[in-house]
Amino acid sequence: MTTIYRPISDPLEYDTFGCHPFENDPATPDRTTRQVFLRRQVADWNVDMKDGSQLQFWGFKDPDVSGSDSPWPSKLIRVKQGQVFHCEFKPTKGAHTIHWHGIEPTPMNDGVGHTSFEVKSSYVYQWCAHQAGTYLYHCHKNTVLHFEMGMYGVLIVDPLTKNPDTKNPNYLYDPVAGDVPSAITPGAPYSAESILVFDDVDPVWHKLDHNAGMCGDDVGLDKFNPTYFLINGVHNGRTQTDTRTVTRMTAGRHLLLRVANASYSRLHITLPFNCYIVEVDGRPLRTNRPKGWFSAPEYKAAGSKLEVGVAQRYAIWAPEVPRGDHQIIGNFHHWITNKRHFDGTAIAKIVAL
Amino acid sequence: MRRREFLKYGSAMAAFATVSTSLPAILSAQTSEDAPTGEKADFDLEIVDVDVELIDGSVVPMYAFAPTGKTASIPGPILRVTQGDTVRIDIRNSSTRPHGFQIVGQSNAVVSGLAPADGDGEDKTRIEFVATKPGTYFYVDGDNSPINRVLGLYGALIVEPKNGYADGAAKKKPMPYAPGAATPAMKSLFTALGEATIDGKPARFPGKPWQKEREYVWIFNQIDPVMCRRIGGGELVTPAEFESQFHPRYFTINGLCGLDSAHDKATCPTGRAGEPALIRCMNAGLATHSPHIHGNHVFVLTESNKNGLPVYQTSLNEHDVWTMPPMMIKDVLLPFTTPPDVPPAPWRMVQEKYPLRYPMHCHNEISQTSAGGSYPMGLVTDWHIDGPVATS
Repeated sequence: MTTIYRPISDPLEYDTFGCHPFENDPATPDRTTRQVFLRRQVADWNVDMKDGSQLQFWGFKDPDVSGSDSPWPSKLIRVKQGQVFHCEFKPTKGAHTIHWHGIEPTPMNDGVGHTSFEVKSSYVYQWCAHQAGTYLYHCHKNTVLHFEMGMYGVLIVDPLTKNPDTKNPNYLYDPVAGDVPSAITPGAPYSAESILVFDDVDPVWHKLDHNAGMCGDDVGLDKFNPTYFLINGVHNGRTQTDTRTVTRMTAGRHLLLRVANASYSRLHITLPFNCYIVEVDGRPLRTNRPKGWFSAPEYKAAGSKLEVGVAQRYAIWAPEVPRGDHQIIGNFHHWITNKRHFDGTAIAKIVAL
Repeated sequence: MRRREFLKYGSAMAAFATVSTSLPAILSAQTSEDAPTGEKADFDLEIVDVDVELIDGSVVPMYAFAPTGKTASIPGPILRVTQGDTVRIDIRNSSTRPHGFQIVGQSNAVVSGLAPADGDGEDKTRIEFVATKPGTYFYVDGDNSPINRVLGLYGALIVEPKNGYADGAAKKKPMPYAPGAATPAMKSLFTALGEATIDGKPARFPGKPWQKEREYVWIFNQIDPVMCRRIGGGELVTPAEFESQFHPRYFTINGLCGLDSAHDKATCPTGRAGEPALIRCMNAGLATHSPHIHGNHVFVLTESNKNGLPVYQTSLNEHDVWTMPPMMIKDVLLPFTTPPDVPPAPWRMVQEKYPLRYPMHCHNEISQTSAGGSYPMGLVTDWHIDGPVATS
């Protein structure tokens, strides 16, 4: 019988690539003047789960905000397009990183241990977002575990300008000269915003060590059996009443719904109103020659379904939302069988009055 | 396997490597010239039983395609043809089990129930079809589905256009699709590549147009070693049982894991800024993957329908994560732009390390491990930007 071999060319490199990634505290390369500065540290704390058990979570806390020690998801970051952003990161609890998911800086500021370094005690990340949109930030050390442990937050890049329509004062992105009118108003103006991050939790994983699985031991990272399903850290039974997952707005105005999948499941969302997908993964679907005229907003009639892949983000624009309660239904499906998980439904709500 | 033992094993294998051919070497040799062809679109393939060594040194029985008389590989060799070609593929089953062969999405391209060959060299079966729509297709053993496929019998058939240019008669903007069938958005994108300015404004893709050689194939799969051993040991496992009990512990891209794929030239896209690359992305397994690329977004150009045929996209959404359900095929364009969120500064950035190395990994992070641990030794590779914008 033929054997297909996988000889390891360099065991030492294998070791540093996985088991012992390079740790360092370099000066920020090519550092320049900043417009935004914030700080992040690492926190761990216990969360009361819906069945009364307690599980450990980890996240990024903001040391400049008191009471921010149990942030899940980690605190929202909002910056404006074109601003030079600095984040001073002091992990304090072992080496970690911050990857700015969807933002595309240089490798040292990309926060990936095996292509650059893990932050040993302090590093200042630097980047300058060129495009308004919906992003995430998360730890990229032993990502399989640290992302599941809750080390992620939403990052939004807002456009520079405001909409002159005071009823719908915010834009998803700057409308600029050359935008070809499409079904939506260029810039996707909105007065109400709902930011929903869906997640699932396997309690077994929350008992593992920080470095579990990095040095070749079988620690069960091939078995992910989620039993809790949440939106913005709120358990599925409470997502239709909790202020973190219910958005109140004035009927007849425009809504921007930002959805992200931080679970390890296939997330199928049902949309309750006529709407348009206007942005995917931080890129508006626009038609403008110099900026790119390759995509267009996609219409979704009320009742349409949308699959949000793991770590994808979608921005959905609902114009003139009718009066009433509108449910955003998320169903979590197994990544191999595509069967819905037991109890795997979480529903957020838009209340238009 | 514990790390300590692994390292010991790894050192022993390093010596062995000098006398054996590694899969990366085979894959990187898979250019159109090296494909198993006698005439232009004639291929001769054999199905064989193999033992596959995994990244932690364990070995599982699988099946593989081989150009007849040559080395077997998982995935099988890339079959590259031109639109309009009459494609002939001769199949011999040299495995101990019955097998089949199928080009998904092509009619008259299915055989099944091929008995094991008796060794007289004459027992080949031929399929013949005309390649029509340019794009990326799966060839698989469709028998016993999905078992034979997931156990290694999968590969890519690429149909290139007879005359693929996005800019018509000027022929300065090559495109991997026929202009008559490509959507306006596809033609717009390939026309924009290599333009420093558009309408007098700085454009998004200075550098070079896409070039035919700038192409990569990424085929994802998952390996359940228990299933491999049960089936390899002769146990009769039904497809329903296989699907319900499938529990993958290894996650591969072009048959490789982690560090191996980052080192494989045929897998790891490289080039200077302004040298766009086409990536033909395929999922042969049963898990739904969420490939995530750092450093650049990709444009999704095609998406296969349930029959395996490429659907050319009318709206080319840019993604940093794209979804890959089982048997999905997506051609995506990696523009190789200077990473757009670098603060304004002269290139090349003085203190940053070169080349600019970014990962591509599945964000369903379970797939980043092997054997229940060993992060990041799963479905992950790198890509590199080797220098500042290349001009034509």
